Amino acid sequence: MTQDRIIYGIFFLVITAIGFAVENHYYLQLLTIIGINTLLALGLNMLMGYAGQISLGHAAFYGIGAYTTAILTVHYNINPWMSLPCALFLAVLVAVIVGLPTLKLTGYYLGMGTLGFGMIVHILFREWSSLTGGASGFVGIPPLEIGPISFFPARNYFYLVWFTVLISFVFCKRLIKSRMGRALRAIHDSENAAKAVGINTRNMKLEIFVFSAALSALSGFFYAHMVSFISPESFSFLVSVKIVTMVVIGGMASIWGSLLGASLLTMLPEWLHSFSDFEMVVYGLILMLVMIITPQGLTRGILDIYERSRTTKNKP
Amino acid sequence: MSDREQQKINHNPLLKIESVSKTFGGVQALRNISFDLHSGLIQGLIGPNGAGKTTLFNLITGIYKPDDGRIIFDNQHIQGRQVHELVRIGIARTFQNVEIFGSMNVIENVMVGRHVRSKCGFWGAVTRVPWMVREEKNTFDNAMEILSFVGIEELAYRKSSELPFGWQRLLEIARALASNPKLLLLDEPAAGLNATETRQLGHLLKKICATGITLLLVEHDMSLTMEICDRIVVLDQGKKLAEGTPKEVQSDAAVMAAYLGVEG
Amino acid sequence: MTQELLQYLFSGITNGAIYAVIAVGFSMLYSSTELINFAHGEFVMLGAMGLVTLWAGFGLPLPLAFFLTVFGVACVGFLFERTAIRTVRKPDHIVLIIITVGASIFLRGMGMLIWGKDAHSVPAFSDHPPVDLAGAKLLPQSIWIVLIALFCALMLHLFFRKTLTGKAMEATAINKKAAWLTGIPSEKMILLAFFFSTGMGAVAGIIIAPITMCSYDMGTMLGLKGFCAAMLGGLGSLWGSILGGLLLGIMESFGVGLFSSSLKDAIAFLLLLLILYVRPGGIIMAKDAKRF
Repeated sequence: MTQDRIIYGIFFLVITAIGFAVENHYYLQLLTIIGINTLLALGLNMLMGYAGQISLGHAAFYGIGAYTTAILTVHYNINPWMSLPCALFLAVLVAVIVGLPTLKLTGYYLGMGTLGFGMIVHILFREWSSLTGGASGFVGIPPLEIGPISFFPARNYFYLVWFTVLISFVFCKRLIKSRMGRALRAIHDSENAAKAVGINTRNMKLEIFVFSAALSALSGFFYAHMVSFISPESFSFLVSVKIVTMVVIGGMASIWGSLLGASLLTMLPEWLHSFSDFEMVVYGLILMLVMIITPQGLTRGILDIYERSRTTKNKP
Repeated sequence: MSDREQQKINHNPLLKIESVSKTFGGVQALRNISFDLHSGLIQGLIGPNGAGKTTLFNLITGIYKPDDGRIIFDNQHIQGRQVHELVRIGIARTFQNVEIFGSMNVIENVMVGRHVRSKCGFWGAVTRVPWMVREEKNTFDNAMEILSFVGIEELAYRKSSELPFGWQRLLEIARALASNPKLLLLDEPAAGLNATETRQLGHLLKKICATGITLLLVEHDMSLTMEICDRIVVLDQGKKLAEGTPKEVQSDAAVMAAYLGVEG
Repeated sequence: MTQELLQYLFSGITNGAIYAVIAVGFSMLYSSTELINFAHGEFVMLGAMGLVTLWAGFGLPLPLAFFLTVFGVACVGFLFERTAIRTVRKPDHIVLIIITVGASIFLRGMGMLIWGKDAHSVPAFSDHPPVDLAGAKLLPQSIWIVLIALFCALMLHLFFRKTLTGKAMEATAINKKAAWLTGIPSEKMILLAFFFSTGMGAVAGIIIAPITMCSYDMGTMLGLKGFCAAMLGGLGSLWGSILGGLLLGIMESFGVGLFSSSLKDAIAFLLLLLILYVRPGGIIMAKDAKRF
């Protein structure tokens, strides 16, 4: 508990310090995107890492968050802070409707069900042009502001997103350490045994699916108001896969792993720009290599190496 | 009301199985089975392989639904209820192959067992309201108590998947006890244990029974069953063959022929 | 009206046959390895691009180009199994999904490096004029596609039923451990499954090449739809996959013709969800879906 508080304190200081130190507009934006992706990865990690339910369609919720706020603020002139609850509500509603039948499936079948759902939502974004602007995208989403404070400057937006990340970390950590968190991990370990101790596995899976969807929609909201332009390609199947990859590479069932995974996968394309045409090849190779070498994800992989070196040292 | 029925009510069995049948794709696994489980006793369910023990076990714990007949627990009809609802009304179980939550440590496993006796949900967890903190502490204390009752409190912070098999079985029993059951069903609890461990298990089961919990053992290990059970039901090929005290069952000619005769 | 409907049916069967061939590739691999290869669509792309290079580029005779492409792509599949799948230490389905997705990105990247970003096209296999059937036009390439798809399915069917290797593969698919205990080298069978599965992918790419634009990114959608078809018919079943493919092609074609072309891509996924909810094993239930 106190240890957690110290870690949060350090995290808070690091965020503040980075916000002060980084002057470059481009880097601030990149860091903000990392924050948004961390929220995404965190949401999926709660579902995948803790409850053990894979989703290959999480970009759909990300997109629902972004498009809802875009449509409401631009077409209907609603204040963004009013559109946020609407976006969250819609994501939750969709998650309940989709989750009820889908979460009955397990393993590959669950992956496929969520994949199908993600594709359908993506096609909706693309084809429902009167509402979403179609394949060419949606422009003119207004920036966020609270009274006199505008979040248009990159630094303010950076703080907004990262403090949200911090709060989400606290919430998720609390959730994991609670009765519900234990129940989720129980479902991950053995669904039969979880039922046998009286866990309503269906409701529990649905609850975490909904929470995860809401976090993704929140990231979508931040994303839309930051870049002010969204297009269906930002919420395609490949984006869903990218979120899964962030979780797995960072480390399943690890909150800080989500941060690591999101940072790596956001920065990787930036580094890979120097490879120009080789970008995709290198990206694919890295994905495969990480999974082959440390299938538990990098946080776990690094921890394992650390522990192995410690145990060998301890041996007389 | 006839005398017979009056007698039954006075007996007030904890679990009543009334002419239950179950068929799997043409194979009749259970045929018209009836028996009662009496409060505060250790009872055994034995029979050769394919006798229908596991099917009956799964019917009581809610995994299957009977095709026919009634199952009454604590004066409620329970056939067709969900597994997790049955735990709430007081039926706990263990698995033949031990299904613990391997990624958690021992105390967490037992705390998961408290699930139905606590109620903090999503909002309680993220807001950490005082009653939730209190409940969490209660859950922990209770789990600790049960661990020491079972005799493995010193293992509380060990990772459960790293425990030897015998301790994992004790942990599973502790987890089942954490839900404050009225009835505890054990699926072959002695399977995979050596003679010493089996004897210790027998003591533990008697100790559990002494606290007022009714036990039903599905067993292969005859020595354990004969030693600790107050009553035994024998199944063979989906039918009830005999019922009574271990002595009565042992001397039953039909049982000798169908079961003991075959298995030696 | 009937003429239009017939036209939809023809184009549906043509597309359906292609989906069917892709679906068979998925199914074969799944039944012997319980793996879903998200890079399968990229092997389809490699097949189409191989034909572009060997037939349209180098001017090899069509049958030779056909054979070389299928063999070459199957060898890539072979290498893929050896380097990326065999080496996995924790064959968890999430890990395998990400590895095959990584492979698909890698292969797409390679495709872009080798063939560039532009789309290529190849002529039809034969330059007969379209056949007129009750007012609807049937392209000769459609006939080629359906015939080749049927031929492949028949060959696979015979292979699994009549040859010892085929039976051994089926045994491995049903129960790997038991097959291994009877002396079947299950590792070899899995390699063989990869070889055949990716080869089927290449066949699909080759037969679709004349009726579409071939580019490095053509495989993703084709792969996903082939996968939907496999699920629809029954993942792990040969004739189920064929049925699923044809059904998907026909429904897509009618959906586009009768309703709206914007629906085209959604149909496959709506069907996927529907079948998952109603009958997860597919129309022809090959394996119990709850096995995981």
